[in-house]
Amino acid sequence: MKFLRKILDNLEPKFTKGGPLEKFHAVYNATDTILFSTDDKTESGPHIRDSIDNKRIMILVVVALLPCYIFGAINIGYQSSQFSGNERSVWENFWLGFGVILPILITAFATGAFWEVLFAVIRKHPISEGFLVTCALIPLLMPPTIPLWQVAAATTFGVVIGKEIFGGVGMNIFNPALVARAFIFFAYPSQISGDKVWLKVNGVSGATALAVPAAVENGNAVDLLTKITQFDYSWSNMFWGYIPGSIGETNKFLIIIGLLFLIITKIANWRVIVGALIGLFGTATLTNIMAPLSSNTMLTLPPHYHLVMGGFLFGLAFMATEPVTGAHTDKGRWIFGILFGALTVIIRSINPAYPEGTMLAILLMNAFAPLIDYYVVQGNIKRRMARYAAE
Amino acid sequence: MERITIKKGHDIQMSGVPAKNIESASHPTAVAYQPEEFRYTKPKLLVKEGDSVKIGTPLFFDKCMPDVKWASIGGGKISAIHYGYRKVIEKIIIELDKNEEAVENTAFDHREISVLSKTQVTDHLLAAGMWPMIRQRPYNKIANPEDTPHSIFISCYNSAPLAVDLDVALRNRSSSFQAGITALSKLTQGKVNVVVDETCTSNTFLDIKDAETHMISGPHPAGNVGIQIHHIDPLKPGKVVWTVNAQHVVTIGRLFLKGVFDPSLIISVGGSGVKNPTHLKSRLGASMETLTADRLQDGSQRMISGDVLTGKTSDKNDFVHFYESTVSVIPHSDKRAFLGMLHPGSGKSHYSLTNTYFSFGANSFPFSTLLNGEERAMMPINSWENVFPMDILPNQLYRAILANDVEEMEQLGLIECDEEDFALCSFACPSKIDIGSVIRQGLDILEEEE
Repeated sequence: MKFLRKILDNLEPKFTKGGPLEKFHAVYNATDTILFSTDDKTESGPHIRDSIDNKRIMILVVVALLPCYIFGAINIGYQSSQFSGNERSVWENFWLGFGVILPILITAFATGAFWEVLFAVIRKHPISEGFLVTCALIPLLMPPTIPLWQVAAATTFGVVIGKEIFGGVGMNIFNPALVARAFIFFAYPSQISGDKVWLKVNGVSGATALAVPAAVENGNAVDLLTKITQFDYSWSNMFWGYIPGSIGETNKFLIIIGLLFLIITKIANWRVIVGALIGLFGTATLTNIMAPLSSNTMLTLPPHYHLVMGGFLFGLAFMATEPVTGAHTDKGRWIFGILFGALTVIIRSINPAYPEGTMLAILLMNAFAPLIDYYVVQGNIKRRMARYAAE
Repeated sequence: MERITIKKGHDIQMSGVPAKNIESASHPTAVAYQPEEFRYTKPKLLVKEGDSVKIGTPLFFDKCMPDVKWASIGGGKISAIHYGYRKVIEKIIIELDKNEEAVENTAFDHREISVLSKTQVTDHLLAAGMWPMIRQRPYNKIANPEDTPHSIFISCYNSAPLAVDLDVALRNRSSSFQAGITALSKLTQGKVNVVVDETCTSNTFLDIKDAETHMISGPHPAGNVGIQIHHIDPLKPGKVVWTVNAQHVVTIGRLFLKGVFDPSLIISVGGSGVKNPTHLKSRLGASMETLTADRLQDGSQRMISGDVLTGKTSDKNDFVHFYESTVSVIPHSDKRAFLGMLHPGSGKSHYSLTNTYFSFGANSFPFSTLLNGEERAMMPINSWENVFPMDILPNQLYRAILANDVEEMEQLGLIECDEEDFALCSFACPSKIDIGSVIRQGLDILEEEE
């Protein structure tokens, strides 16, 4: 790798102050530090530092997402083989899905990188490694049938409005990937409203698992799901992910593996996760109790179905746990998690126009996180003021 | 005896831990004061270059508190006075005579010390030029002799990595230590709190009279006096607590027992940049060169006056700072690993508090001065909170200071903090933020308002 190092070292003077490409120093710096870890040194105390840095955090989140990509590709192939009648091996399924995902991925990364570089150059800040995660998340939130121009438009909206106008990674209020998803959800509802399945096969249409109970009055959600013959909407099949859906969200098992990885590496905070599960199970149990009083079939959906349906687990693992847009205090994280779980069930059940509640629940909680933190901080201050006043 | 357990924090496993024995260092030819370290004071010189001084001769005083003088820590000639930007005194270097003379003061025995009044002790310390050994919290600055502190804290547990081991340094010093404690106990109506490590067996600390012993257990920063104050006698606005380094208590004790300022001090020299790290019999303001002579490993090194978390960057022409008794030497590294961010990690190449590298179980890790990343916006993954054992929200406090919101800084408890308690937060921070310097910035604002 000495050869590569030499090229970079030779290029450096062009990008430093006074060089012809001075403006693009951020681009050079990003390339240089992604390829080779930096040799920046401490100046004063603390003279030694932990090995962790933001690049490592971001790359590990991307690593946690990789299984979802692989399964996403296999599932695209599997779903289309189900309906086109072609028997294919897992390997063939993977390559078929890979061909679908790759253009989406390239579009997302190219668009994301364009905006990130543009802002870095104009605002003179370093290119943040956070865009790796944002651009890796966006394709996983998209249906496989998404037109590429919509991916580009969504990424643009997510990166610019969701992140850059606030000052970049660390200053954003909303999760940029979810902002991207919300953008196409509202801008192009006919393609991505979430009530129709997305298959890479022409002429097949059907309802997503969450839309099934939402469409019927006075029914039993689980009965309705088992009656669907077009897809296998059994609990175990939804858990293992062989159902149509967005690219990355279907296999709950792999998502849980990724989530555990993020908890072990202390990137995701377990309080949000436990809180969200409490919120989801508690609220769903409550809706089950209230179900006989209403004609809303969604209310009969049991908690463990809520858990594996739609994007709840994916959103929980990779977006609700995002440290910057979540609550910043431990108590706040509990409240954030519980309310996120509860809101997901409430939006899914009570508002039939939005069969997928996770996205809106997270965005709402992102908006409320500073308020939650405010009250936690006030509590801390109150306790201290009481001590100051005593004695 | 009270027991305190601290859960949050971390003992950094570093190689180059000083051996628990005391060797004699080569005799220094010069010692020095570096007055910039006495924050919030305005030093004014009483001597000029070329003057002959004894140990104990006043060298400079504080324009804000004119009674506070600094005694010479060596006998000989003022060989140089270095000035910095805006005529700030950087160094006062004293070239030592072969036979150093010392200023004689009144001596007392143990019984006489125990009947001294507050004024007598204060005057004795002021006259001897040793008052700067007493510092106060908040602000971690030299105490005002006119104040009466709520209590006095002496931390006899140094939990910082590679720091001087006080059990070793105070071996066979119990008589002077006791005399120092007795003298200090006259300065407060409250208690003198001596805080020791849970595993401490030294009778110097455990059999102490005129003071209350507290046992603290837990990882660094449990040994930081700021953390101990927070858990034993927490600060609040208007409350003042004094602190004295354990080794300075011995110096104070000797002043009372023998009537002279004895500048001897045990200094540890450690870190992976030195051969056979150990404790050295040395003195206040010793030169880095004397301490590290024949001990440096080959290659480019950084010398630090103090421990690796809070010490000051120095070179061989510098001197150990007045409040420090640790010298650390760590290597510079220019290694740039290809695709380093994808490295799985190992106990030999990466050390991390999070499990983001397979580095767990790493013991005695050779740290270098690498930042291991670049400065970025804050990433609130609790990396600060996990190593900060105070009931204070570091993240919110940091932001209040950056926003210059004085009221919120006070409400969030800045007055109880000192930058050294945040050093571990900066160590663990994935965004490579130096939180301590921001905390100091906030304290500067509050100090100015007072």
